[in-house]
Amino acid sequence: MESYRRTANDVSAANRNLAGVSDPVSHLNGHRAAAMAADSFHDASQRILSTVNTVIDGKSDAAELALTVLLAQGHLLLEDVPGVGKTLLAKTLAKTIDCTVSRIQFTPDLLPSDVTGVSIYNQSSRLFEFRPGAVFANIVIGDEINRASAKTQSALLECMEEHQVTVDGTSYRLDEPFMVVATQNPIEMEGTYPLPEAQRDRFMARISMGYPDKDAEIEMLETHQAASPLAKVSAVVTAAEVAAMITTVQQVYVSQAVKEYTVSVGRATRESPLLRLGASPRSMLQLLRAAKATAALDARDFVLPDDVVQVAEAVLAHRIILDRKAAGAGETAHTVLQGILSRLPVPQAPAGAGNTAGAGTAAGTRSQAARNAASVAGSGRNR
Amino acid sequence: MAPARTPGTGTQGPPTDGARPARVGAYPWAMAAAIVLAVCGAALSLNGVLRGWAWYWPAATTVGAVGFTLAGLRALRAAPLLVTAGGFLSLGAILTLTFFRGSSILGVIPSAATFSDVSQLIRRASETVLSETAPVAPNVGIVMVICAVLGLAVILVDALAVPLGMPAATGVGLLAILVVPAMIKPQSVGFWGFVATVAGYLMILACSQWFAPDFRSQGGAARNPGQLRRAVLTGAVALAATLVVPLAVPGFDQGTFPQGSRLNPWGTGTGLNPMITLGNSLRTPDGSGRITYATSATAPLYLRSVTVDHFDGESWGPDDRTASRLPLGGPIDPGYAVLADEQQQVTAIDTGTFSSPYLPAPYAPETVRGLNGRWTWDPATLSIKGSDATASRRQEYVVTSSVPNLTAALLEQSSAPVRDVPDDFTRIPGNVPEIVRTTAGRVAGAGATPYEKAMAIQRYLRSSEFTYSLQSPVQGGYDGNGLSVLSDFLEQKSGYCIHYASAMAVMARLEGIPSRIAVGYAPGRLTGATVTVAGQGELSEYEVDARDAHAWPELYFQGLGWVPFEPTPSRGVVPDYASETASPAAPGSVENNDDLVPDPAPAPTPAPSATPVPAPGVGGGSTDAGAQVLPWLLGTGGVLGVLLLAASPRLVRTGIRSRRLRPRNAADAVPLAWSEMLDLGRDYGLPAGSSESPRAYASRLRTSLLGEPDGMDEAAHRAVAAVTAAFERRRYGRPPEQDDGPAEPDAGSSGTGRVADSHGAATAPGQLGPLEDSLRANATLLQRCRARWLPPSVMGRLGRLATAPFRLAGQAWTRRAETSAEAAVRARPAGPGRTAHGGFHEQEGN
Repeated sequence: MESYRRTANDVSAANRNLAGVSDPVSHLNGHRAAAMAADSFHDASQRILSTVNTVIDGKSDAAELALTVLLAQGHLLLEDVPGVGKTLLAKTLAKTIDCTVSRIQFTPDLLPSDVTGVSIYNQSSRLFEFRPGAVFANIVIGDEINRASAKTQSALLECMEEHQVTVDGTSYRLDEPFMVVATQNPIEMEGTYPLPEAQRDRFMARISMGYPDKDAEIEMLETHQAASPLAKVSAVVTAAEVAAMITTVQQVYVSQAVKEYTVSVGRATRESPLLRLGASPRSMLQLLRAAKATAALDARDFVLPDDVVQVAEAVLAHRIILDRKAAGAGETAHTVLQGILSRLPVPQAPAGAGNTAGAGTAAGTRSQAARNAASVAGSGRNR
Repeated sequence: MAPARTPGTGTQGPPTDGARPARVGAYPWAMAAAIVLAVCGAALSLNGVLRGWAWYWPAATTVGAVGFTLAGLRALRAAPLLVTAGGFLSLGAILTLTFFRGSSILGVIPSAATFSDVSQLIRRASETVLSETAPVAPNVGIVMVICAVLGLAVILVDALAVPLGMPAATGVGLLAILVVPAMIKPQSVGFWGFVATVAGYLMILACSQWFAPDFRSQGGAARNPGQLRRAVLTGAVALAATLVVPLAVPGFDQGTFPQGSRLNPWGTGTGLNPMITLGNSLRTPDGSGRITYATSATAPLYLRSVTVDHFDGESWGPDDRTASRLPLGGPIDPGYAVLADEQQQVTAIDTGTFSSPYLPAPYAPETVRGLNGRWTWDPATLSIKGSDATASRRQEYVVTSSVPNLTAALLEQSSAPVRDVPDDFTRIPGNVPEIVRTTAGRVAGAGATPYEKAMAIQRYLRSSEFTYSLQSPVQGGYDGNGLSVLSDFLEQKSGYCIHYASAMAVMARLEGIPSRIAVGYAPGRLTGATVTVAGQGELSEYEVDARDAHAWPELYFQGLGWVPFEPTPSRGVVPDYASETASPAAPGSVENNDDLVPDPAPAPTPAPSATPVPAPGVGGGSTDAGAQVLPWLLGTGGVLGVLLLAASPRLVRTGIRSRRLRPRNAADAVPLAWSEMLDLGRDYGLPAGSSESPRAYASRLRTSLLGEPDGMDEAAHRAVAAVTAAFERRRYGRPPEQDDGPAEPDAGSSGTGRVADSHGAATAPGQLGPLEDSLRANATLLQRCRARWLPPSVMGRLGRLATAPFRLAGQAWTRRAETSAEAAVRARPAGPGRTAHGGFHEQEGN
């Protein structure tokens, strides 16, 4: 009995975290654009996606996920073997939006000031002037991010999390929207500085592009033969439009049931015996934001558990660490997450209770959700 | 059940929106009035099962009390289960008040003494059921049982009509009441009972339509023009079937519901149990139990099977005298000397399908040849009885009988006091009703000789004062036999042979003439065939069947033996010696309301042997009276019970569905429709997983149970999509009060815009119809049957109910185990504890 009470308290604490964090974040983003009408949101998102799809063949899922991350104000980590179009995706997405784009090629000798900017003494005015670095753009493409040294990588941290740069004690706000799209190669790790946990956690989602299928590959050979189609891409939305879309996403409604479901996903990863490290509360927040963006892209103004499931792997897979034994047994982050999601009960409201359920009921269902998470984790033990 | 709603009620319905908030209002009272009317109406038809009307008042008060208690509780918005429980309580209270006021506390609370009274009354009722035939006297036991049954019927009908939301199915409950009279009473349910029941039933339907309208029939003909057409079509088909089917089913060739609709799955008792079934046999529209015989007799031949001589008690039956019976071997001796000339008759009889323990034979038999099986005869009455209840089946035998040549003059001379006659035939029964005594004195008192007295009684009974009628005793509630029946008969002056025969027999005894009632067959009709009988040459063949069943009095004259008379107008043939030229009621001149009177064709001058022929067999004394009512009751109850049990999953499922599709308030429509869709899927073999979101389940349902989205199942696909979208919006969407939020992405392709949603909420339940049709069309026969009769959604529910105690125990066990395990972990001093990333601990354990 005691264990349940404790569990329930933990969960409500987690819920408080979620609720408490979401507001400052939206304020952090500074000015707030007016929300967009449903029709124009749909049109704009379709324009972006179709444009991206003209360049990247057969990867509409990745394109959609990239757009989801953009609209959810997250950062994207593209991780895959060389030559599958990671950089191309990032560049195309950046080019469809009429905004500033900068590209940083991460190398071992890249310095933090190259990223953030540096104060230079101006001899004519006899003052130090701040020269903004590459990060001062709406979309920052960080290529081969794991090739830069750890201190350079961590210079990106503040920018990514707080959307500001502090140089010589002065903070400079970054533009909105702001998104870092980083790519890295997981195979050739020699001479690289793998991203530490803390930094990986700041990327909302990690996408593995994967190889295109046969038809898409043939198509790619055809379209990319003469010149890159990227050259023909022009911006289809303005930065202001993207900001409005982001506001729309923020206003997507999240019901109590979906929050409970999200939390129980997180708890299940933490309690799974197959995982050494589960998902953090911040990842829960990011998961929910990504789910909101997914819902908005699906033309809905409320989040379904399906949205959470859809983005769960992309959002969570790079944050969890497999138990060594499980890894040895052939488990991957993918299979573990799939196993958890396939067993986790979707909260079933009694017919008629609906959204108007009182606080008492909500607390009850919350502890129910916690118990569900516990039972899923428990069944994982038996695998 | 039958087509649910009459179209009339559909169109008359007042606007329902106004009625919904004030749903309680008059609805419970109107519904209770309708139910009470229906049940009281059905109870009307029990008159005839119970004699008279004295029982009706307690029955009506019981029904009313229970019905209005239910309504009162419902008006107070009690929970449905509480309402039903209150119904049972009120039934107990009103029964206590009516029947056990003395032994209860405050008149309504049963005490310990009450329960012993109850068992006493139930015993009494079962005795009544076992030993009496309809109509039974309304003693307190049977009335209590009837009241209890009617009260239960009210609760059943109410439960079907209101909480289960199946008003049309209330017909089952009402039918259950009507089945009893339909089985037991010869004239079936009766006009008024039927009309009142139907009126009540229609009122129930109307009430439920007016006050709690169904989605499906809402809006009436304007929105749903097919409804009227469907109703008319259904009605026309039903009407046509009622007209056509009876032609194919034997036994429906006369009358409408009084005779024609009489339910009789066991066929008429061709055994023709004397006295008791005689009336029913006469009323059978088809002649069953056909017997053919050929005789050398010149007079019309009465075949006699048994006699009745005990006139005591509520109900008369033959006395087998088992102790004094002799095995049938040698000649049969009547036991008295006949002083007149006797004439030998030879009769060859083929009983065919007639089955009875008693052997039909002309009186007085001397020898019987050609029988199979063991047979015994009674020296006192000469009735011949076999060893089992169907001994007479398929017997062909030849009876030699002797008949004295009787004349009026001979009988006139036989005035000597009777001797050698057993007491049985002269004993005057106790408590003879006054009317019988005075009538006997008035009619026959003046006669000087027994013959004169007998003729006076016969003349009186054959006078135009009396009419022959098979129906009026039934309608007057004095069908059957017994002294009380007799007094009713003498007042009403209308009845059939059993009444005439018993009247004459009892009055003769009162006047000092030994008498008994013979039961058997009146002379039959010529078949046109001839039969060759050894020693007799070719004889004409006659036939009789159940419609010729007859009873007649036999009076004993000293020196002449038992002499049959014929007091029944229009039946049988009056013997020469008993006919008078001046008789106002010569056969044929009396109202002949039955064409079964033997044609004059076979009319060799009457003179049945001095004592008529044995007639139909009897079961075994008083038990066959019960044997008639009890199997009906048990059989009907059993069949209904089994049917109800077999259909209960389906009924429960239908109830759940109709409750879901008619939600109490519109806000619940969507979740209920979703639950219904889940159950539909489960019924067709696709239960939802607990980790499946609504959308995932819907897509699985669509892919695995439905066909192509743009083919035949398009409507079903659309229905699933609409219900799912509406449910998602309701379950996960913004609550309605926060509706002023910013514009949200449009519904777009999924069609779930805000506007579409409110529309979808109203129509979602109605869309499940096409879904179910498509599911059924795509399922195999086995799946269809299972979904219909053993729906897994209901069976699963039942299973969960049944295993709930075990599950609870299991949970408690697990919980305890977990708690103790946790305590153990916490107690370990150096343990790392359970971190948020419990994996570490696990790893260490490995």
